[in-house]
Amino acid sequence: MLLEVRDLHVEFRTRDGVAKAVNGVDYAVDAGETLAVLGESGSGKSVTAQAIMGILDMPPGRIAGGEILFQGKDLLKLKEEERRKVRGAEMAMIFQDALSSLNPVLSVGDQLGEMFVVHRGMSKKDARAKAVELMDHVRIPAAKERVKQYPHQFSGGMRQRIMIAMALALEPALIIADEPTTALDVTVQAQVMDLLAELQREYNMGLILITHDLGVVADVADRIAVMYAGRIVEQAPVHDIYKAPAHPYTRGLLDSIPRLDQKGQELYAIKGLPPNLMAIPPGCAFNPRCPMAQELCRTDEPPLYEVSQDRTSACHFWRECLNG
Amino acid sequence: MPEPQEPEGAIAGTGMGGAMDLAVSEATTLEKGPGQAGGPQGKPRSLWSDAWRDLRRNPVFIISGLVILFLVVISLWPSLIASGNPLKCDLAKAQEGSQPGHPFGFDGQGCDVYTRTVYGARTSVTVGVCATLGVAILGSVLGGLAGFFGGFWDSILSRITDVFFAIPVVLGGLVLLSVVTSNTVWPVIGFMVLLGWPQISRIARGSVITAKQNDYVHAAKALGASNSRQLLRHIAPNAVAPVIVVATIALGTYIALEATLSYLGVGLKPPTVSWGIDISAASAYIRQAPHMLLWPAGALALTVLAFIMLGDAVRDALDPKLR
Amino acid sequence: MGRYVVRRLLQMIPVFIGATLLIFLMVNVMGDPIAGLCGDRQCDAATAAQLKKEFGLDKPVWQQYLTYMGNVFTGDFGTAFNGQKVTELMSTAFPVTIRLTIVAILFEIVIGITLGVVTGLRRGKPVDTSVLMLTLVVISIPTFVTGLLLQLLLGVEWGWIKPSVSSEATFSELIVPGLVLASVSLAYVTRLTRTSIAENRRSDYVRTAVAKGLPRRRVITRHLLRNSLIPVVTFIGTDIGALMGGAIVTERIFNIHGVGYQLYQGILRQNTQTVVGFVTVLVLVFLIANLLVDLLYAVLDPRIRYA
Repeated sequence: MLLEVRDLHVEFRTRDGVAKAVNGVDYAVDAGETLAVLGESGSGKSVTAQAIMGILDMPPGRIAGGEILFQGKDLLKLKEEERRKVRGAEMAMIFQDALSSLNPVLSVGDQLGEMFVVHRGMSKKDARAKAVELMDHVRIPAAKERVKQYPHQFSGGMRQRIMIAMALALEPALIIADEPTTALDVTVQAQVMDLLAELQREYNMGLILITHDLGVVADVADRIAVMYAGRIVEQAPVHDIYKAPAHPYTRGLLDSIPRLDQKGQELYAIKGLPPNLMAIPPGCAFNPRCPMAQELCRTDEPPLYEVSQDRTSACHFWRECLNG
Repeated sequence: MPEPQEPEGAIAGTGMGGAMDLAVSEATTLEKGPGQAGGPQGKPRSLWSDAWRDLRRNPVFIISGLVILFLVVISLWPSLIASGNPLKCDLAKAQEGSQPGHPFGFDGQGCDVYTRTVYGARTSVTVGVCATLGVAILGSVLGGLAGFFGGFWDSILSRITDVFFAIPVVLGGLVLLSVVTSNTVWPVIGFMVLLGWPQISRIARGSVITAKQNDYVHAAKALGASNSRQLLRHIAPNAVAPVIVVATIALGTYIALEATLSYLGVGLKPPTVSWGIDISAASAYIRQAPHMLLWPAGALALTVLAFIMLGDAVRDALDPKLR
Repeated sequence: MGRYVVRRLLQMIPVFIGATLLIFLMVNVMGDPIAGLCGDRQCDAATAAQLKKEFGLDKPVWQQYLTYMGNVFTGDFGTAFNGQKVTELMSTAFPVTIRLTIVAILFEIVIGITLGVVTGLRRGKPVDTSVLMLTLVVISIPTFVTGLLLQLLLGVEWGWIKPSVSSEATFSELIVPGLVLASVSLAYVTRLTRTSIAENRRSDYVRTAVAKGLPRRRVITRHLLRNSLIPVVTFIGTDIGALMGGAIVTERIFNIHGVGYQLYQGILRQNTQTVVGFVTVLVLVFLIANLLVDLLYAVLDPRIRYA
C-alpha cells in the first residue's frame, strides 16, 4: 500500500469547546489508484487530507490519535524536517482556489521553479527551464512567455493547471486534490479533471480526490470513501456504490443528484443539518437525519461492517439499505 | 480571498499626526456578519450582540471602561474628590513638594497640583467628546453621502480630503490658532473638527461603499426602497461599526492633540485649567521640580490610553477575522 | 505602469494647489501679515498702507497667491522681514530635520518591523501580549510628554545625553530626539506589521508554500514577509512627510534648529513669508513621498503594476 490512514483522530480547540473533526478514519490508496473522498463541508474530508500532508494549523488543531503510513513509514512519528522533505517531493496537494493559493506577488515561474531549487538544489536558471517544461506539460499555451507572469494574469482554468503543474513538479507518489474543480466554470471543470486523470495514469500516482460532486467521481474514481461527521460511513469500489449504496447517507447523497428521467419531480434532499462537531449525537452520528433510524442507532455506535471483501459500511442496517 | 487593492485605499493619509491612520486601516478591514467558526449551534448571533458578549469578558475593555467612567464622573463633579479651588494659588508655596492635604505638591505659581490635575480632566474630556462628536457627525454625513451617491461630488470630496491630509495637523493648528485670542475651548474644538472630519469621512465613505454592495441592499433597491430608506435602514447600521471604532480611538488622540497644542502655546490659555498648559509650564522647572510635570502628564497619558484601549477592544470584538 | 505614474502625478496637482492655497489663506487672511513688521508697537495707518503696497498685499488674495507660486517655481521663496532670504533659512533648517527624520525612519524600520514580525508570528503568546500593551502605552503618551520625560531621565537625571542638541545637530546627538519623534509611528509600525503578518499567515498561499515542503525560514521570508510588508512599507513612506511636519514638538523640546523650529519662530513672529514657504515645501515633500510610495507599491505588488 502506498498510503494507509489508520484510526486517525483530529480535534480543534476553539473558544466554545473542542470540535472533533476527524473521529477514527481508515482509508488506503495504492499506486495508480484513485480514491474519491465524498462528504458535506465539515465532514472532515479536508482535515484528514491536511493531516496527511502535515499542514494542519496546530494549534488550534491537534492529532489526537492514529497512524498515517506512507510507503511503510508512520509520518506522524517523523521529525518535522524529515516530514518537510516528504511534502511536495513525495506527496503533493492541489487546492480548491488557485487564485488565493498561489502567491500573488511572485511570478508563476518562480513559484514552480522553487520546488526544484529547494528540493533538488537546482540553480535558478535550470529551475526556470523546468518550470517552462512543466507548464508545457499541463498544456498552458506560450509557456515560455507566460512563465514570467503573475497568477492574476491567468484565467481560472489556467491557474488550476499551474497548481497541478506545481504538484506534479517532483513526480510525487501521491497527490491529494482538495476540490480541484469546484471553483471553476463547468466547461473548464471537465478539462482540468481529464488532465489530472491523464497525468495520474502517466506517472502511476496514487490520487486522493476530495469532492462533494458525485458527477466527477463516477468518471475518474476507482473507489469511494463517504465521510460523515469525521467518520468514514461507507467505503467501496465505485461501481458497487452506484449500483446499491450500503449506507442511508450514501443513498441520500445519490438521490439528491438531479436526474433527467425524474424531470418534474421534487428533488430529494437529506433533511436536517450536519451535526455540531462539538456535540456529535450519541450512537450513529447520522441517526437524527436517517430515514431508517431505529432505537439501536440512537444508543450504539455502529462498527465498520464488512459488506464484502473490499467494501465496508458503518450502518447497523446495511443489509436492509443494500436491498433498497 | 485577498483582493487586489487600489493603492488609494492602502495608503493611509497622515493628517492627524499619523496617529489615527492605523486605526483606520485596521478598522476598515472589519468584516460584517457573524463569522462563526464553531459550527451551527444555537440561535444566529448578530455582529453587535456577539461583540458585546466578547467585550463583557475582556479585561482590557472593563478596565478602560471603568477609567473612562471615573473620568466622566470627575469631569462632571470634580469637587467630589478635590475640595480646593484650582485657581487659588499661593506664590509662597511655589514648587513645594508633597505635604499633608496637598499630595501632589505645588506648581510654579503655587497652585495645588492635585486640584489642578483633577480639574484638568474636565477640559480634556470636554474637548475630546465635543471634537469627536463634531468630527463623527460631519465626517460620516459627508463621507456616507459621497459613498452612497458616488460620481462627481464623491470625487470632489475625495480631493478635498486629500488636501486636508497633506497638511500636518500640528502645523495647521499653529497657523490657525496662533491668531485666536479667545480663551475658551471652542476655537480648539472647531479647529479639530475642521481638520479631523476628512479622517472619518474616508472611513464612512469606504464602509458605505462596502455595505452598498451587499446583496440585501441590492434586494431592497430592486424592491423599490427609496434612497433614504436604503441608506438609513440597510446601509447605515452596517457601515457604522468602523466609524465608532475610529471615533473612539480619535477621542483619545484629540485629547493628546489639545495638550500638544496647549504645550506649544496655541491651544487653551489660562485661566482654563488644562493638563497641556500645566505640563508646558512645568517643563521650565523640569530640573528643580519634576513632580509638577509627572502628575498632569501621567493623568493625560492614562486618559488617552483608556480611550485608545477601549477603541482597540471594540475593534477586536467587531472583527471576526481576528478571532 | 507609465500611465499609472502619469495619473498619480496629475492627481497630485489639485492637492498641491489646494493645500498651499489653504495655508496661504490661513496665514494671510486670518493673520495680519504686516503685524510683525513694526516691532512690538502697532503700525500706524500710513506705514501700514505703504508696507502693504511694498509687499503686494493690497492686491486681491488670489493674485497674491499666483504671484507667490510663480516666484516659488523660479526658486524665490521671498524674504523674511528681517531681510534674510527664506531659501537661506531653508538651507540651514532642512538638513537638520532631514537627519532627524532619517534617524526616526531607521528606528521605525529596525525596531518596528522586528517587533511586528516577532509578535505576528507568536500571536497570543506572552511576548505578543506585552509588546502589544507597550505599543498602546507608547501611542497614548503624547510625543511632547515622551520627549520631556526622556530629556528629564536621560539628560538631567542620568546624564547620558546632553538635554539640548547643539547647532551642528550631528546624527549621534539626534538619536534620542529621533526615537522620540518616531515613538508613536514606531508603535503603529509594530502593530501594522503584526496584524499583516498574522493575517497573511493564515492565507492560502502560505499554506501552499508549506505544502510545497519549503523550509520554515523560506516560507516566512519569501512568502509571508514579502507580502505582509507591502502595507508597512507604504505606511513608512507616507510617514516621511508627516514626521518632517510633526518635528515641531520634538525640535522645540531638544532645542533643535530645524524646520519645526524655524516654523515655530515664524508663526510666533508672524513672519508670513517664512511660514508659507516652509509649509509649501513640506506639503511638496509629503506629496512626493506619497507618489514614491505609490510607485513602490506598484513595484512590490504586481497586481497593481499590471492592472
